Amino acid sequence: MSGNGDERAKAFADLTTADVQEVFDRTDYVAGDDIVTTVLLALRLGKPLLVEGAPGAGKTELAKVLAEGFDSELIRLQCYEGLAAENTLYEWNYTKQLLSVQAGERTSPSVPDTGTETEERREREAEESETGGTSVFGEEYLMERPLLRALSTDGETPPVLLIDEVDRADEELEALLLEVLSDFQVSIPEFGTVSAGVPPIVVITSNRTRGLSDALKRRCLYLHVEPPSYEKERTIVDRKVPELDGAVAAEVCGATHRLRQEPLLKQPGVAETLDWARAVAALRTGENGQKDGDLTPAEIENTLGCLLKEVEDVTRVDSELLESLLESAREARARAEG
Amino acid sequence: MSRYPGDREDEHETDPDPFVGIDEGEEVGAPDIAAARDRVVTTLIEFTRELERAGVEVPANASVEAARALVEVGFGSKARVRTALKATLVSRRADLGTFDRLFEVLWRRLTDHLSGIDSDGEDRRENVGGFASIGADPDSDSEAAVETVSDPDEGDSRAASANWRPATGRADEESEDEDDPIRTARYSPTGRSERLSMPAAALTDGDPLDRTMERLTRGLASIGGRRWQAGGGDRADARRALRRSFGTGGTVVSIPRRERTETIVRCVLLVDVSRSVLDTIDRAFLIRFLRAATAEWQGARTFLFDTSVREVSGELAAPSPHATVEAFRRAETEWGGGTRIANAIERIRRAHPDAIDRTTTVFVISDGLETGEVDALEAGMSWLSRRARAVLWANPLAGAPEYEPTCRGMAVSVPYVDGLFAFGGPDDLEEIARQLERRGTNSIGYEHDPRRRARE
Repeated sequence: MSGNGDERAKAFADLTTADVQEVFDRTDYVAGDDIVTTVLLALRLGKPLLVEGAPGAGKTELAKVLAEGFDSELIRLQCYEGLAAENTLYEWNYTKQLLSVQAGERTSPSVPDTGTETEERREREAEESETGGTSVFGEEYLMERPLLRALSTDGETPPVLLIDEVDRADEELEALLLEVLSDFQVSIPEFGTVSAGVPPIVVITSNRTRGLSDALKRRCLYLHVEPPSYEKERTIVDRKVPELDGAVAAEVCGATHRLRQEPLLKQPGVAETLDWARAVAALRTGENGQKDGDLTPAEIENTLGCLLKEVEDVTRVDSELLESLLESAREARARAEG
Repeated sequence: MSRYPGDREDEHETDPDPFVGIDEGEEVGAPDIAAARDRVVTTLIEFTRELERAGVEVPANASVEAARALVEVGFGSKARVRTALKATLVSRRADLGTFDRLFEVLWRRLTDHLSGIDSDGEDRRENVGGFASIGADPDSDSEAAVETVSDPDEGDSRAASANWRPATGRADEESEDEDDPIRTARYSPTGRSERLSMPAAALTDGDPLDRTMERLTRGLASIGGRRWQAGGGDRADARRALRRSFGTGGTVVSIPRRERTETIVRCVLLVDVSRSVLDTIDRAFLIRFLRAATAEWQGARTFLFDTSVREVSGELAAPSPHATVEAFRRAETEWGGGTRIANAIERIRRAHPDAIDRTTTVFVISDGLETGEVDALEAGMSWLSRRARAVLWANPLAGAPEYEPTCRGMAVSVPYVDGLFAFGGPDDLEEIARQLERRGTNSIGYEHDPRRRARE
């Protein structure tokens, strides 16, 4: 890791687990000791954090809460197949450059065409493209994309660079990331080298639709976000959906936990549980809604779409499984009510 | 002797700032690490190599990064050391199970290093002299094995490697490796026992098992007894119906029902304390579980076995963890020998004929790596199965996603076992309780553990 990484490490030299935990608590992110420790290590060692886990487990949210918790800017690079380097680093504002060049030509004295000498001059002018003494390859014409923006951000607090779903991008992008993440600087041929004053906090997420290169993994600390336990999920629901009655929240988590034991095509993640909890809460806010009543079969059936996103999974929930879900919900409620 | 961290998984309350560098290790209760640094680094490198041998994709510079991470987290918390090493040495989910399994061995080695270092940095242990010596299984078979290795360096390396393996060997692997002296020396039939010692503090740390044990008790109580009693069950009692019909001229007026007799939970725990098990299990958790079981289940009897058998029910019933440790010490209880399950069952059968009856649930805690005759083991398990209400097998290795009970000892035992479960921590106890509550003894075991599917 570069000296820049060390700079960031120095910035977090006094950080403790309590500080990181406090950040998570403040942002209502329920993090286990493993997450707290790994995040702290990433900050203290100045290394990017590679986060893997099932969809909906809170990988992206982790970067968001770090940005919010440290009161810094979140810069997100959403990866997809075919994502090109210019979409991640920088682009020149061609329209603005063209207009500037044209404006320069309008103001420059007209020179009669004298053959070869004129052509050379025009080539030089095209290369330099100066208007009023300013190069069109200056900062003014540079459109920063997420990676460059993360390196060029000023301020005491480093920004959080979220490189989301890196496994969706091509391997060429990984090579580019290696360069950027190694030295936290990037060279722009027409402009010069941009180095990060304080390197960003880098969070890379992956759903493992393909394996990542060894080189990239070597540069990162690895964190696998496990599916939440019942207790952890219950805490998350309580914090994120406070409008839902506590006992009903327990029922929601109990039923979801039971549902995850089925061989579903797409297992519901925490995000789905939260959606379901919000849906149940919303349906109970009407005039006749009973806020703390037991979860009913009709409620589950009507809101199952929040949890299950595949038709095969939805049809799997027959009356027998529904009864089992209700039983788990009742057990969870009984535990919650002591 | 200086303090060492023991097997504490979590110690926020006692460790306000555990992220103190090694040089500041005193603040987290770690000893002066300078004297042990070389051995710790060597152990770490060996651990990395063993991960690679086990198929884990370890990044090229991982050892250095792992060492840096250890400097950050110190040695005050097992959970944090595990997390730090996981973050630096593992880079794909499929390797997490292997890492966790091998980490238990690493932690044991690390705490061995640290507990052997006095506060002045001087090493008081007799058997410390580099990784191989510390890691080597000091039994006679190992010596025999090393004798057959021509290259001493290679021998050391392979011996160290063999000692890292936490006994996930399969029957086919074992048969293939019968000619490999190092491998066959891994689990010695004799093994050297050592005095059972445990810092009492390690037994009081960690989450209390009260709720888990309560649930497990409910699960065990729900196992159907073999006796039937009149009641509201769904089974017709034909015999009583016939008897009653005598009074009504042969006409059956109503069909009496019957149900299994529910009795109090009676348990016998057979605990394998051979070296192969102790290298993979959290000893503090094991003792905590045994103490909790003794307290929760009236009349529970616990037998430790390796090459010999010792009943330790009295020691476990001591009022405090400290008293248990003291009782073990006074009793000079030893552990760490070889695995002789069949021998243990036979001895219990002869010496304690009343220990197991049809109201007793037998808990076998073992990795099943039997070094005795498997025929004898099969006969012993068959007897247990006939004799006991239920036989549950808790295997420290069964938590790994790739685990299958194919080693010879497990292969012959599984048919006589009502449920084979993972046994590594409170979560595993919760899972046993959950399955018992839900299904009794029908279709239970590690293969029905949803966490296994998730890990796969």
